[in-house]
Amino acid sequence: MLSDILYVLIRLLVLPGFTFLLACALLFQWIDRRTIARLQARVGPPWYQPLADLVKLLTKESILPAEADLPICTALPLVSLAAVLTAAVYVPVGGHTTYSFEGDLIVVLFLLSLPALFYFLAGWVSVGVYSVVGGSRSLLQYFSYEVPFLMALSAPAILTGSWSISRIVGQQATATWTVFVQPLGFLLALVGLIGKLKRVPFDIPKAKSEVVGGPLTEFSGRKLALWHLTVDIQTVVGVFLLVNMFLGGSDLGPLSSLPLAGLMDALGFGLKALVMLLTLSVTSVLYARLRIDQLADLGWRVLAPLGMLQLAVTMLIGAV
Amino acid sequence: MLNRLVQWARRRSPWVLHYNSGGCNGCDIEILDLLTPRYDVERLGILKEASPRHADILLCTGPVTRQSRDRLRRIYEQMPAPKWVVAVGTCATSGGVFRGSYNMLGGIDQVIPVDLYIPGCPPRPEVIIEGLARLLATIDVPEDKPPRDAAEPPAEQLKSVAADEGEASDDGD
Repeated sequence: MLSDILYVLIRLLVLPGFTFLLACALLFQWIDRRTIARLQARVGPPWYQPLADLVKLLTKESILPAEADLPICTALPLVSLAAVLTAAVYVPVGGHTTYSFEGDLIVVLFLLSLPALFYFLAGWVSVGVYSVVGGSRSLLQYFSYEVPFLMALSAPAILTGSWSISRIVGQQATATWTVFVQPLGFLLALVGLIGKLKRVPFDIPKAKSEVVGGPLTEFSGRKLALWHLTVDIQTVVGVFLLVNMFLGGSDLGPLSSLPLAGLMDALGFGLKALVMLLTLSVTSVLYARLRIDQLADLGWRVLAPLGMLQLAVTMLIGAV
Repeated sequence: MLNRLVQWARRRSPWVLHYNSGGCNGCDIEILDLLTPRYDVERLGILKEASPRHADILLCTGPVTRQSRDRLRRIYEQMPAPKWVVAVGTCATSGGVFRGSYNMLGGIDQVIPVDLYIPGCPPRPEVIIEGLARLLATIDVPEDKPPRDAAEPPAEQLKSVAADEGEASDDGD
């Protein structure tokens, strides 16, 4: 009994829970910043930079404007971080799942979209001019990317006939990776993820030269650290989710039958996550920021119809 | 132990905010040079932030005009402690060629406490990096001293930085 509780606690807090996610978040942030720097012919930050930033922000004074709603401003980053961490519990890592049930994909998608709403609220209750403008931009952006993102991630589920992420991963190991069946869906999910993480082509709500810091303009110290951590862990969970849904999880094709299966699983999963992360970094160097109306245009005129096409094709194939 | 971790983090993650309180833009261009591939201050963990709330170091250029005095003071007050102010360029240090002009107050230290002066018209990016690195080396986390008060006069600030520097060298850092 006690060992069961201990086992669950270790899974939740150490591996693949909080500690592992924190380490991944810091590592991913460093790889991302370093890649961007190298592509811009710079040297980039040392490996401990994300940790130093986090510790520094955690120990700084936390001030808010007098008109801001202090309890809500304190709660919002905590709740967003909690939502993202909870989502991570249901996402398999290297073939291992902490918890899994039929329909956990829907829960994960819901939990991953919660921070976007809290982000908007953060802008609204911290009352700065830039915060409110950034907040309304983030909501508009949310409506542009979320629909194609959901459609793209529903397609593999419909293909497998199951809404459980671990089942979808298992199915890909026996058949083929979803990305080969649904390349369009993968691209849409990737674009949706960039929008969700507010990375460079879609960093409209927090564009420094336009709205200063967006909804986070008035946040400082500990609260800002938690917001940054939320985004970093959201990056990790989003990348893991896409690897699971489209790239076959830890499956390495014929290489999976090699000895040391556990090691190969971890290696395969890590490698795929790294490829996804580098794709995100390169994308943010290659493209300049869109205007918010261009993003709404792209979302509703291009991405959403393509998502519907992907869904229709998947359903037709399933029916035949 | 914890203090050492915090000190380590503060020395390696200085986020700067840049404000020109009435200069000619020469120093501003040298500050922007710091972000270019040739100088790349992200190596030192320096990021240029747009919001005073996110920043640790205020990089000031230009003399303070009567009109920008209140803005400068407000930006300084919006920054969360601990915070540092660096006056970049001769104008920011002393008022430069604008000293004594009818609409100028003089250097940055006429309005807010300054921790580091970097003279030059404009200072070269190498000098700004050197200055920032020296400022970072003086950052100390005292055991139970409250954060620096904004109302403290500039002379006191300078003395405390000098004292910090002495302590740091005693530690063997």
